[in-house]
Amino acid sequence: MITRPLYPLEPGGSAHAEDIHLGAAEGLTIEDRTAAPRFGLKGPGSADWLAANGVALPAINRLARAGGLVVLRLGANDITLLGDPGAPDALDAVRRRWDMASAPKGYSSWREESWAWLRLSGPRLNETLARHCALDLRPGRFADDAIGQTRFAHVEAVLVRAGAGFDVLFDITATAGVLRDLRRAHRGHGHR
Amino acid sequence: MKLLTCPMNGPRNIDEFQYLGPVRDDADPDTASDAAWARHVFRAANPPGRLLEWWRHVPTNFVFVAERDTVSNDVIRTFDPATAERP
Repeated sequence: MITRPLYPLEPGGSAHAEDIHLGAAEGLTIEDRTAAPRFGLKGPGSADWLAANGVALPAINRLARAGGLVVLRLGANDITLLGDPGAPDALDAVRRRWDMASAPKGYSSWREESWAWLRLSGPRLNETLARHCALDLRPGRFADDAIGQTRFAHVEAVLVRAGAGFDVLFDITATAGVLRDLRRAHRGHGHR
Repeated sequence: MKLLTCPMNGPRNIDEFQYLGPVRDDADPDTASDAAWARHVFRAANPPGRLLEWWRHVPTNFVFVAERDTVSNDVIRTFDPATAERP
């Protein structure tokens, strides 16, 4: 029997705790998108297979949005596809084709299970980002299609713009720590 | 903050990097004695002056080469060995 996974921030999940809260507080909104679909490929053959199957690949450390997919080019042969809620079939179609294909086609990097995915937004987003990341992520300094692979809230993370907000993808086992860091660093800001 | 320039990701805080040791030839597994092999695995020369070293940008797992002056600690250049010729 296949059961739906239990994600860390859901009731009963490993990061579900009274002092960890999602939603809006003090100008920062945190949305948990960990259950949203994504599909990552790594290793030799990944880029060639995706390109041959109609996925237009951007340059390394750039993203492309097309055909219901957000394509994150994390390396020459390290690519993650994020599903677009408006076109849920696009990601499924790529995944089905890949499952059926024979090698060389890279290997699954299991981003749907190994990464947590938070969406940060709100009027104090830039202050929050500056407190947790050494990269200058402000509008005009960090391009709309740029990818930041760096340290964020003391863990390795992938950062990309999502409209007026930012998506942060990181090791799912660090979910509780990142959430606590985000809220803790944000709480004292108004008193400085 | 000390910065190191990753060939793939650009300038980053040094704490995003892992030092992987000097660039050197592998020991010959067919001819190296046990002592020579152990020395190759566990020890490295630390000469003063310019040295080519392996570094890894941890968030991307990107491995590259830096040329560093071991006396001044200045990094002269960094490059991707897959696309650049070694001097």
